[in-house]
Amino acid sequence: MLLPFLLRGCTAKHYVQQALSSTRLCINCCNVRRLATSSGQLFLRKTPQRFLNQSRGAKVHKRKHQNQEDDWKKRNKTVLTYIAAAGVGMIGLSYASVPLYRLYCQATGLGGTAVAGHNTDQVETMKPVRDRIIKVTFNADTHASMQWNFRPQQSEIYLVPGETALAFYKARNPTDKPVIGISTYNVVPFDAGQYFNKIQCFCFEEQRLNPHEEVDMPVFFYIDPEFDDDPRMARVDTITLSYTFFEAKEGQQLPIPGYS
Amino acid sequence: MSTAMNFGTKSFRPRPPDKGAFPLDHFGECKSFKETYMRCLRGNRFDSSRCRVETKEYLECRMDRQLMAKEPFEKLGFKDLEESEEENKAKL
Repeated sequence: MLLPFLLRGCTAKHYVQQALSSTRLCINCCNVRRLATSSGQLFLRKTPQRFLNQSRGAKVHKRKHQNQEDDWKKRNKTVLTYIAAAGVGMIGLSYASVPLYRLYCQATGLGGTAVAGHNTDQVETMKPVRDRIIKVTFNADTHASMQWNFRPQQSEIYLVPGETALAFYKARNPTDKPVIGISTYNVVPFDAGQYFNKIQCFCFEEQRLNPHEEVDMPVFFYIDPEFDDDPRMARVDTITLSYTFFEAKEGQQLPIPGYS
Repeated sequence: MSTAMNFGTKSFRPRPPDKGAFPLDHFGECKSFKETYMRCLRGNRFDSSRCRVETKEYLECRMDRQLMAKEPFEKLGFKDLEESEEENKAKL
């Protein structure tokens, strides 16, 4: 009675073995790598897919990492170049700022700088602005150690922009020795100073007075007609011209005023 | 004032005169012309436009006595005076 059971068991085993071998063959002939299906995995003792993926992924990962590093290196290099260029640019700008600022000051007249392009030929062609009367007051000063008597001969003059005018100062040397003086001038308000043009005067050059000598010192000047157009000068009615005399020592070199 | 190195404060920068400095009139050669001019100014309440002829005469005196560089008066802003003089001469 057991025999048929055994026989059946034998044949079942045989059948299973056969099935296994056939599937193996099947799978072998369909290219294992590509078509390894999950069902195949069930039957086959091959390394499971996830392990395969891991080893493949490790190589791809390494390549990706390499690319990323290269990318970063390239980016770092470009950023460093930009920073270096900016640094060099800043240094160059700090050197160039000196003449640039000077140009800017001359163009805008900031800080009372003499506006470049003061045209000396305009004296010929300028037209007086008749409706704007300006009072010019005169002031005279001497340095404490300067012994001259220095004073203006008129306290004020009324004139219009664009017209030349003459004013006189008087200087007297009361000492018994010849004295050499040199003078400078000042115009108040400061902004109006750029419109105040002197054609000829007695300033910035050494003037020698003999003992007990008295001389007249003229100033020939005009106010630029553009004074009337400047909105900042709209309320300016009085301009004060002030001269100060200093004593000049022998061999003293005084700098010429104005920007060179 | 002008030596204050503050940014933005107005400061004054003196400029040299256009035609240089007047030589001093040590011998008072043009003193009479100056007196005429000052009298004219005082008479006209210090109005400079009324005394332009006297100004021109003073400068002429200086030029004649080598106390000023000779220049045509148009360049010194006396163009209108020159023109009126020429008209007067043409009329004569």
